Amino acid sequence: MNRKSVKVVVAGGFGTGKTTLVGSVSEIAPLTTEEVLTAPSEGIDDLTGIEDKTKTTVALDFGRITVNADIVLYLFGTPGQDRFWFIWDELAVGAIGAIVLVDTRRLDASFPAIDYFERRGIPFVAAVNMFFGECPYTEGEIRDALKLNPTVPLVWCDARDRQSSKQALISLVKHAMSRLPAGTSA
Amino acid sequence: MPDETWYGDDGEPGGRLVPLYMLVNGRTSPRNTSLNLATQVTALPVDTSALEPEYREILSCCGGWISVAELAAYLNTQLTVMKLLVDVLLERGFLALGDPAERTVADYRLLETILDRLQRL
Ligand SMILES: Nc1nc2c(ncn2[C@@H]2O[C@H](COP(=O)(O)OP(=O)(O)O)[C@@H](O)[C@H]2O)c(=O)[nH]1
Ligand SMILES: [Mg+2]
Repeated sequence: MNRKSVKVVVAGGFGTGKTTLVGSVSEIAPLTTEEVLTAPSEGIDDLTGIEDKTKTTVALDFGRITVNADIVLYLFGTPGQDRFWFIWDELAVGAIGAIVLVDTRRLDASFPAIDYFERRGIPFVAAVNMFFGECPYTEGEIRDALKLNPTVPLVWCDARDRQSSKQALISLVKHAMSRLPAGTSA
Repeated sequence: MPDETWYGDDGEPGGRLVPLYMLVNGRTSPRNTSLNLATQVTALPVDTSALEPEYREILSCCGGWISVAELAAYLNTQLTVMKLLVDVLLERGFLALGDPAERTVADYRLLETILDRLQRL
């Protein structure tokens, strides 16, 4: 069948505006789906020596943009907890790439996401979410602090604003295209 | 992947007639390995009257194309569980599957089409 879905992963630390961005460009109200994971909890129980397994619920928010009759684009926000990398792996399959949201008050919150996409060679753009309309740092300062590769685009956005979020998406798609030889069709 | 899957059927309002692990016949991972949370499925025109209600409920949402993630969200079912249910429905010939996701999107023309659509948002 020719019905195809593609994804954009919206990543960044907790509270950087992922859900807000997904909601501002999605054609449907963002949906949430849950994954309940059984994961060993931190450490081993000292008394019994038995690994303590805990159930953790991980929520994934996503939105949708219908491209045409055959193609749907999904925007998936990464779960708040950074440690469930296999969920990121599933999100990254069939993804154009990622928008990594950055809050300049907490740059470190976005390090794990940048590192993840960098290591896997997945195209991404860093989008500085301007929470208060203004950013006290220059692009150079932010790039340095994030140790961004010079080829990675850095954009400014207001995740609440549809046009602004749309521009972040557009810069990601253009960036992904710039890494391919023009005119290739898989 | 975690080696255990929790089926999320306890404590659910209304309760289920059949535990989910029975519905999926003890399956803990999809046999169709191209099944991703964004994969599109659609109902095939076959008689569903002999199916368990949980399966019929899923098929009633698949009149058009829909993703596994949307099915999970609309039917309030965990993602892993929905994937297994969809996997069974695919295998039993009730659902058709859209294009499997490529590892990375390396199709320039596809990206051009998406870009064009985004610019009109
Ligand atoms: N002022 C301002 N607030 C924002 C912006 N983006 C998100 N927020 C708020 O920041 C909070 C966290 O956003 P959310 O999208 O839930 O972050 P997530 O944890 O990354 O999904 C929410 O209260 C949003 O309303 C923005 O661009 N400007
Ligand atoms: Mg969120």
